[in-house]
Amino acid sequence: MANIAAQRIKREFKEVIKSEEVAKCAIKLELVNDSFTELKGEIAGPPDTPYEGGNFVLEIKVPETYPFNPPKVRFVTKIWHPNISSVTGAICLDILKDQWAAAMTLRTVLLSLQALLSAAEPDDPQDAVVAKQYKENLEMFESTARHWTNIYAGGPDLNKDFNDKIRKLVEMGVEEHQARVALSSYNWDLERATEQLFS
Amino acid sequence: MGNCLKRSTTDDISLLRGSDSVRESSSDQLGQPYQEPIPAEDVSPVYYPSPSVSRSVVQLTEEEQVKIAKRIGLIQNLPIGTYDGCKKERECVICMVEFLVGDTVRCLPCMHTYHMKCIDGWLMRSLTCPSCLEPVDAALLTSYETT
Repeated sequence: MANIAAQRIKREFKEVIKSEEVAKCAIKLELVNDSFTELKGEIAGPPDTPYEGGNFVLEIKVPETYPFNPPKVRFVTKIWHPNISSVTGAICLDILKDQWAAAMTLRTVLLSLQALLSAAEPDDPQDAVVAKQYKENLEMFESTARHWTNIYAGGPDLNKDFNDKIRKLVEMGVEEHQARVALSSYNWDLERATEQLFS
Repeated sequence: MGNCLKRSTTDDISLLRGSDSVRESSSDQLGQPYQEPIPAEDVSPVYYPSPSVSRSVVQLTEEEQVKIAKRIGLIQNLPIGTYDGCKKERECVICMVEFLVGDTVRCLPCMHTYHMKCIDGWLMRSLTCPSCLEPVDAALLTSYETT
């Protein structure tokens, strides 16, 4: 890895560790290897959002050309959000693409991602199904996102109705996550989800 | 039109690095402790028509060659100085290392200052200030107009 990249990550790592956000447990950063090319990030779901109470793990890969190019970041924790792929965790955020600037840091990236959880941009979607639901049925989107937060990110709100529907599909031999995706995509309409799964 | 960047590679690079490059290349084999490994650019120059696109010189389209040539010209017009310890910025935000007295620094029209080596690497990808995102070319043009 280029000298400047490793050196910067080392300094940034120290900076994040000392930051007040870490003290407040809002963000977390860990090294994955000794060469500073890969890190594990963690952000807390912001209050008053469907992600509240959840902890979201991020995979951060630092390119050799860092900080001239942005880090490659994706969600490891499954999440229901218009700008994050529910399948791969890929993120659509301008600063991770063409709006990156060399003065930005891993700390600002983590805080920007946290801000993205508070303010989705459904007109610039990464996950078209989620974005459509967000625009057409916000309430449905919020309860679905809250359910995913509960299941995958350790969030507090258990949704009995959703769980029952998933269990019905599981009893029919559908894998649990697949059942959740189908139901989430069809606004928890059991009939339509079943149709899609068995067609 | 031929490839204008191909032949003048050595010039472009040495101009971007200031007078240091002459010393660097001549003392290269002595293996001095502070010597940097020769960047790949010296062997086969790589340019960045846009921040995430890197191409070797032979792959550049004519349009990209013109764009990069203009960019190099513009960067060369930005003032270079020596850090004297009294600027308000203490650290180069690109490499996050504190400025040392005697460091070669470049000052952008928005007055943000960086190590020359650091900011040139950025400007070759994007003509904006990494701190305030002000477009460097627009700011330069305005400063030309007012003087």
